[in-house]
Amino acid sequence: MNSLLNWFTPNKQTWLHRCNPSLKFVALFAIMLFVFFSRAIGLYVGYIICLSIVLWSSSGFPARKVALLHIPILISSLSSGITLTLFGRGNDIIWQWWIIKISHESIHSGMMIGTKSLLIGIISLLLLLTSPPVKLLYSFMQQLRLPAKYAYAFLAGLRLVPYMIEEVQLRRRALRIRRVQADRGFAKIYQMIKLYSIPLIAQAIRRAHRIGIAMEAKQFQQKRTYYYITSFSAYDGIFVCIVLICTAVALIVPELPV
Amino acid sequence: MTNKAIGVTKLRAKYSGEKQLIFNDLTLSIPHGQKLLLLGPSGCGKSTLLQIISGIIPGAVQIPLLAEQITKPESWGFVFQDPDTQFCMSYVDEELAFVLENQQIPQEQMKQLIEEALEHVQLHLPKLHTPIAELSQGMKQRLALAAVLLLKPDVVFLDEPSALLDPEGKQYIWETIRSTLAQHTVIVVEHHIDGILDWFDRVVVLNRQGDIIADGHPSHVFAEQKSFLMQEGIWYPNIWEEYFSYQSDSPSLAFRAEATAELQAQPNTSGSQPLLELQNFKIKRGAYSLDVPYAAAQQGDWIAIRGKNGAGKSTLLFALARLLASNGSYRIQGEDVGEDIPPSMSYVFQNPELQFITDRIIDEVTHSLIVKYDKERTEKEQGEHWIKRLFAPKQRKSRIDLQQLTLEASAALEQLQLSVPPDRHPYELSIGQKRRLSVLTALVENRSILLLDEPTFGQDARSTFIMLEWLQQLQASGVTIMMITHDEQIMRRFATQIWHIEHGTLTTCSPAQALYSKEADDEQLTQLVHT
Repeated sequence: MNSLLNWFTPNKQTWLHRCNPSLKFVALFAIMLFVFFSRAIGLYVGYIICLSIVLWSSSGFPARKVALLHIPILISSLSSGITLTLFGRGNDIIWQWWIIKISHESIHSGMMIGTKSLLIGIISLLLLLTSPPVKLLYSFMQQLRLPAKYAYAFLAGLRLVPYMIEEVQLRRRALRIRRVQADRGFAKIYQMIKLYSIPLIAQAIRRAHRIGIAMEAKQFQQKRTYYYITSFSAYDGIFVCIVLICTAVALIVPELPV
Repeated sequence: MTNKAIGVTKLRAKYSGEKQLIFNDLTLSIPHGQKLLLLGPSGCGKSTLLQIISGIIPGAVQIPLLAEQITKPESWGFVFQDPDTQFCMSYVDEELAFVLENQQIPQEQMKQLIEEALEHVQLHLPKLHTPIAELSQGMKQRLALAAVLLLKPDVVFLDEPSALLDPEGKQYIWETIRSTLAQHTVIVVEHHIDGILDWFDRVVVLNRQGDIIADGHPSHVFAEQKSFLMQEGIWYPNIWEEYFSYQSDSPSLAFRAEATAELQAQPNTSGSQPLLELQNFKIKRGAYSLDVPYAAAQQGDWIAIRGKNGAGKSTLLFALARLLASNGSYRIQGEDVGEDIPPSMSYVFQNPELQFITDRIIDEVTHSLIVKYDKERTEKEQGEHWIKRLFAPKQRKSRIDLQQLTLEASAALEQLQLSVPPDRHPYELSIGQKRRLSVLTALVENRSILLLDEPTFGQDARSTFIMLEWLQQLQASGVTIMMITHDEQIMRRFATQIWHIEHGTLTTCSPAQALYSKEADDEQLTQLVHT
């Protein structure tokens, strides 16, 4: 149960971990919004290169793990890119067969969506790998004035995830023990959803209710002091500088005459 | 601290959506410093009463409620039953800090206060930032108590604080409660009260309607109300002895005597070949491993599997049911067991809800019956010659007469005193009834080995005795029972063999030996606690 948590614990703390999580969140979210509303592959590639350098050099995780975490991002980026390339709209047709239609425009938009989702994935990794959820939410409460009830709702919810995983496993065993034989086809999918979701949801609701009462019994207050005090330091200056440099590079790279 | 008495006057309450009142003009006053024990049958509203007096109801939870007066304590703490649903943070220090943050204690003082609280409850950890998941269940309850102490309460509510702990954890938590809460007003709901009764000044007994039927010093209450307590299935000291003497004339116990005589008359008919045999049986699961040098069960054995919380008892049962991989020799009736669940095995999970698969109680039972007939048919077919099998008309599952199955299922429900509306959803049952239904579904499958994971856990006396009677009848009919249990009474009175898991190894012994060494352990433990 703890192996999951341990897997996501970095091997060493780098300057990136010591930055204020709220600042990281705001800065990276700003980049994300900026990227979201722009349409320039050069800009994306510039960002991908710069932020990848930051991620691989100072995430504090071994390269193997970072590479592993790239797999889902690459899958989503490639699949959306290829889909748009094959079926995207366009007049300047290169090759066409049945419903597949590749054009210059569709290649362009495919590359754009591919690099865009890759970039957004890398930005999320950069935030999530270097700020543990507890620190992130403590910082949200202190710097961004997030109401404590939402922060703690999230933290308590996080604690429930390992229990849910364990329960799915138990339920699978229980179904084998009861010798449940699955129907076929669509009926099977429906049957399986029902067999798993009802007991697991019932259990989760009950558990959440109990934790809520227990928190209330510990006299939960919105107005509170903080065990982890998050503040700003020189590392935050470094982080802002690096983000600005990355942005500058990403803006200049496409302008360079190649 | 204030010295005001707390309590309720003329309290009326009911659960939303139900007609029946839980309390009807209940009046209870608790003076400062009193140690009060609340007893009552399951579902009589004891826990609800604690929550009303503390103010959780109606502060955080709403139920229809009316009272002339409710005097709430000014400061209070609450320890709940389930160690896994009391904490909102993942680490020990963060959880205790959560309590301090609520009181707006400056951050510089927190570390010291946390250390002091852990010291009070005798929880010595290598470092403060320890994951709560790494603590044993008993340690988690002591952590919950530490959190309560940080609230500096006048009144402490304990809602079955030791119900889900092993005997050792139970003993520790009660030692800690006694030493830390000597000055406080303490109100306790607890089922298993052996060994803690001398601490209480007052016992209040509620009946099923939520009225107080006895209120006084423990020695008086238990002397006067014994018959009521037994009738309502409330645990009280020496209930086991009395249950057995009270039952001595009844058919079920006569039946038991007969069965025992029968078993003794033909000692191990299959002597050379045990029903179930394990040799150099090993389970590895991550960092955990369990080693069984040799263990065997005869037909009609009642095996109690014991060990601390987390020793690997459930893991062993999973491996026996082939839900987990293992190495070494594992035979049933002399044949090596393959990858599939052995056809002769049924299993009752610790959490009955995870085992229910249909929307109606009756369907749970019919499903098991269908499985049973399927199994019998395949066995019969396999016995026939292959040419005959080839030309036999293919039967389909649905051929089994559903109507007749339903009748059979209702008969089973009735016979085993599970008189519940069969059309309800299994989740609507009480905890005890759910457990009984899950055992029943395993019983009707009629297999020769029954595995049970703590079937009497957190049950009231009545449910426990009903279930034990069922199991006795099964045993008498030749079923082998293997159950995980912490209950010494069950080990002493029912088990024919004890499998003990400690330090990753399983040893077997007879009940007499086990209890002897257990007594020695207890002595050691008490010495340990008192030093």
